[in-house]
Amino acid sequence: MSRLIHHIVLMLIPIALSIPTAQSEALSGEQLYDIACEACHSLGSAPDHRVGPPLENLLDREAGAIEGYRYSEALRASGWTWTLPTLLAWISDPDMAIPNNAMNYVNALTAEESQRLAEWLLQQP
Amino acid sequence: MTYTASRRHLLHAAVATSLSGLTGGCSRSNTGRKVLVVGAGLAGLNAALILERWGYEVEVVEARDRVGGRLWTLDHVPGSPEGGGNVIGANYGRVIHTANTLNVPLRTPPRTLPSDYDIGGQRIHREDWATSSYNPLPDGWRATPPGRLVGKLNDDNPLLKTRAWHDPGLMATDQPADRGLRALGFPEAAIHLINANNSYGNNLSDTSLMALYRVMGEFGRLSGPALAVMEATAGNMRLPEAMAAQLTQPVATGETVKAISQSGAGVQATLNSGRTTEADAALLALPVPALRQISLDLPTSQQAAMAGVDYHKIVQLHCVVDAPFWEASGWGGSWWTDGLLGRIFTRPIPDSERYNMTIWINGDSCDLLNALDDEACTDTILQALWKLVPRAQDVTSVGQLVRWTNDPFAGGSWALWGPGRAGSAHAAIRAPAGRLFFAGEHTAEAYRGMEAAMESGERAALEIMRALT
Repeated sequence: MSRLIHHIVLMLIPIALSIPTAQSEALSGEQLYDIACEACHSLGSAPDHRVGPPLENLLDREAGAIEGYRYSEALRASGWTWTLPTLLAWISDPDMAIPNNAMNYVNALTAEESQRLAEWLLQQP
Repeated sequence: MTYTASRRHLLHAAVATSLSGLTGGCSRSNTGRKVLVVGAGLAGLNAALILERWGYEVEVVEARDRVGGRLWTLDHVPGSPEGGGNVIGANYGRVIHTANTLNVPLRTPPRTLPSDYDIGGQRIHREDWATSSYNPLPDGWRATPPGRLVGKLNDDNPLLKTRAWHDPGLMATDQPADRGLRALGFPEAAIHLINANNSYGNNLSDTSLMALYRVMGEFGRLSGPALAVMEATAGNMRLPEAMAAQLTQPVATGETVKAISQSGAGVQATLNSGRTTEADAALLALPVPALRQISLDLPTSQQAAMAGVDYHKIVQLHCVVDAPFWEASGWGGSWWTDGLLGRIFTRPIPDSERYNMTIWINGDSCDLLNALDDEACTDTILQALWKLVPRAQDVTSVGQLVRWTNDPFAGGSWALWGPGRAGSAHAAIRAPAGRLFFAGEHTAEAYRGMEAAMESGERAALEIMRALT
């Protein structure tokens, strides 16, 4: 192997080892919901065994309004209504959005994924 | 770069998709990608189930002869006590939901009997604690039971408001816990008692003050009934067993991974048996001491971060007690000591006249015991128990000695971050390295314990799905 080819091969190794994400198909809202939300929230309307409230009909719903849930005082008193900007702020960084809340969640999504998830959630009936 | 999926992989993915995962019901196409998951604890199993649900072929290999990792229900001991993870918090959403979905019943644990004290070799009845001359605490502190002293950190806890406990900004203020407690006005006697049974560091000099704040912050945010804990009625191991049973390919137990190499085409793992297995990516869902045994070819910074993580030491002697020997003397049945025995938790075995008694020793006190063989270790603990309560000898039998530090597949009970270290090490350790991904309680952001493992499996599955769509 000539030195030139050797150098080119060495330069290519890091590229080959990194997995292409830019051209990958983005994860869907449904996938993001399944990974990030589904264990603690349902898409139903009635309280169930999950630790967080159901997320049916979320658009324009008042925060902390489902009966039977132990919301934090902070969320109940927030005066928030769920729209795209508020939901995005909330799932991106709950502690920053409403300090002293009860949702023990640290967001692992990218900004684009959070946006896609929030849009998808607000479209659910 | 393109990936070629083998015909075998595609067939497996087709099977995986035809069988529903935890939730089922959705149409999920085969990705033709295969993921090797190393470690069948809650973290690895949760990631495996998510990945199968979305059309990935998953092969799970596990070094032990059982699934569950640091969950270990001692089924051979009457009362089936937990040798590993024992507490399911009321806010453990992932654990609770998974248990409910897979029909693993949960219950409120039988109540642990009241605890008396043995401090400096003097036994103190729980009702006499505040006034006893053997209580070493100064005025203003004397009424606080030893086990609750560390809770006073919540008077001024920065982590009551944020979960970003390893944020480098906060970490800049971190310091050794003993020094921090002193600066906060904790008296030396309180620091001594906190050190005696500290579950969050092997000694207070090596414990991060921020790590203590983190634990107390978590307790502080929960209140009232929300603080109630649960356990799986038939043992916490039933949860990972039920999760593993959902997988299309059975977990391969007794398979220790020796090395994983990666190339542009994928990863290749070499097992101790000599077998090799290939995949598009590998998830290492192992505690760091076990991870360090595998040849992985990681970046130097990641290796250094892994090398610097300490693990908590726990020795437990699980005993079965045939009769409540403590009652005749007016003791409660459980003990909190600043000596070799650490803490003793006793609780009734449901539908039985007998009791489970767990002697739970934490931190550097375990060093002496871990250096002994099983028989000598058990005998040393029992001699201390007979000295504390001689009547115990006639009615107590040994069920199981558990030493997590000596377990080569665990190396300890949970990850500890030395003072100031979590700000950099936490992120470095879990960062994907090419086709290698990482999960386990040590990589979690929001939770500790079982829920941390589940949380980390979610995050790792997300990273893998991003990379292998």
